[in-house]
Amino acid sequence: MAKTVNINVHHVTRVEGHGNIVVNATNGKVEKVEWQVPEAPRFFEAMVRGRSYEDIQTIVSRICGICSITHSLASTKAVENALGIKVSEQADKVRILMHYSEQLQSHVLHVGYLVAPDLFGLPSVVPLAAKAPDAVMAVIRLHRLANEWSDLIAGRTTHPVTLKPGGLTKFPTAKELRELQERLKNSVADLKAVAAAVLSVAGNLPNFTRQTEYISLKQDNPPTYTFYHGDITSTDYDGAVSIHDWQSVANEYVNDQSTAKWTKWHRDSYTVGALARFNNNAPLLSPLAKDVAKMFGLTQGCCNPFMNSVAQLVECVHVVETSIAMIDELLTKGIKPENVKTSPKAGKASGCVEAPRGILFHQYEFDRKGNCVGADICIPTNQNHAAIQKDFEKFVPEILDEGEDAVRLKLEMLVRSYDPCISCSTHMLNVEFVR
Amino acid sequence: MKKPIVVLGLGNPLMADEGIGTDLVARLAQEAARYPSVDFIDAGTGGMAVLHLIDGRRKAVFVDCAYMDEAPGTIRRFTPDEVRSTKVLAHQSLHEADLLRILALAEQVGQSPEQIAIFGIQPQVVEFRQGLSEVLRDRIDQYLVKIRSEIES
Repeated sequence: MAKTVNINVHHVTRVEGHGNIVVNATNGKVEKVEWQVPEAPRFFEAMVRGRSYEDIQTIVSRICGICSITHSLASTKAVENALGIKVSEQADKVRILMHYSEQLQSHVLHVGYLVAPDLFGLPSVVPLAAKAPDAVMAVIRLHRLANEWSDLIAGRTTHPVTLKPGGLTKFPTAKELRELQERLKNSVADLKAVAAAVLSVAGNLPNFTRQTEYISLKQDNPPTYTFYHGDITSTDYDGAVSIHDWQSVANEYVNDQSTAKWTKWHRDSYTVGALARFNNNAPLLSPLAKDVAKMFGLTQGCCNPFMNSVAQLVECVHVVETSIAMIDELLTKGIKPENVKTSPKAGKASGCVEAPRGILFHQYEFDRKGNCVGADICIPTNQNHAAIQKDFEKFVPEILDEGEDAVRLKLEMLVRSYDPCISCSTHMLNVEFVR
Repeated sequence: MKKPIVVLGLGNPLMADEGIGTDLVARLAQEAARYPSVDFIDAGTGGMAVLHLIDGRRKAVFVDCAYMDEAPGTIRRFTPDEVRSTKVLAHQSLHEADLLRILALAEQVGQSPEQIAIFGIQPQVVEFRQGLSEVLRDRIDQYLVKIRSEIES
């Protein structure tokens, strides 16, 4: 059946951050399909210029309220690489624990609050709480655990305060780690409950596939499903590229339909995030995480972007299971106080970690006084914009016959599956008084 | 152990007046010794994290930048039921947040404090830079008096 569809999801009122979805089709012929990102440039790179290497993390932790630990870690690693600062094995492990807490926070929130309502056919988590109260309460408990885990290790739920070049200003005590470990063990039941709830509606995940290049970190020594160390790899590339050469992977460029930069490597777009990590590193997942992947039929080589949310669930289980083991390692060696002193010097280097929504690059240059003279940040969302566009181009003709409302909903669901970070710098209220 | 009262500063100090909430709470945190039953928390732009920071409290006080159709620098105290959110969410990402919707969820799942007070401060300027506008900076003492009075009541 020939269809005419005109979709213009274009927010002219004040929205914190958003992308526009534009589709024009006449009599079944697609004329225009665009994912537009009209966000104003944020100039964070300019804000850190002139600031001391010791202040960079505090500033960049405010780039995003969901990924503040990730930005903090990427910047701290870059500073350490630039100034030749070494980090102890203990500090390294505790930072990874901190990083895992943010992966759980973000993934649980994304799957539970943003994706699950779509799968249950509801507009938001508020009506979902009435329809599937047990699953929503399990999501809230998991999110709370992740937040309090961040609190313990990072000193604050959002925008960490315990990181410093060379290590951390405060380590958790053995007692605190044992308590955290117990809570993590007890959370497995909630993880299984959330996975079962999502599985019960997983048939509503659109069956859409587009051959895609997936880029993430990989770590061979020791072999690890990594979020923190390693080199850059891709499903199109057998080798690995040093994180210091990330610009040769991202190949950022400007595009007329977006104020955000786009990226490409071996193809005209690539994808980063949980599904990318899964596709590159799945054999290294923890046992229970592998079981969850199997439950959903998620296998390496999956090119359905909607399955990113399933990969996030798999990673939730992985970070919990891995953290339980890491705490054992920390407790066996005993937590020792550290008092690392650093001094400024000139240098330029990058730092890279996996944000919940994909690989994140920070690069800084410092003068001999340790003041920043240049910065370059490449966020995962910008690396996914071209992939969203390419998904739209393939997906729209496949679903055009379903009509305008279905096309709009499915494209919005597709955007949500990437969970783009285009609205995270401001969270002010907009109100009118009714009483 | 959570204290019965929590004062939460929301916003982003890299966005000029959007950071008024975190600025004021950082100042109040320096007086924390005077308020043994109050936690002062810079919640930044953590969004849904608020849900967990208010659970188990008797009272939650929020300090945030707010568009209220008032003159820049105006501070107003209100409760969630005195206002309606006019905020448009794109629903594309969990990065966007609306405090009033988070409070509605807290209420629905039975994890809302008995008392909630919100101090909204109308911004003069919200843009990518550090530091408050002069209009807000000049009124900081006035804002602090109002918030102290709320937590002492």
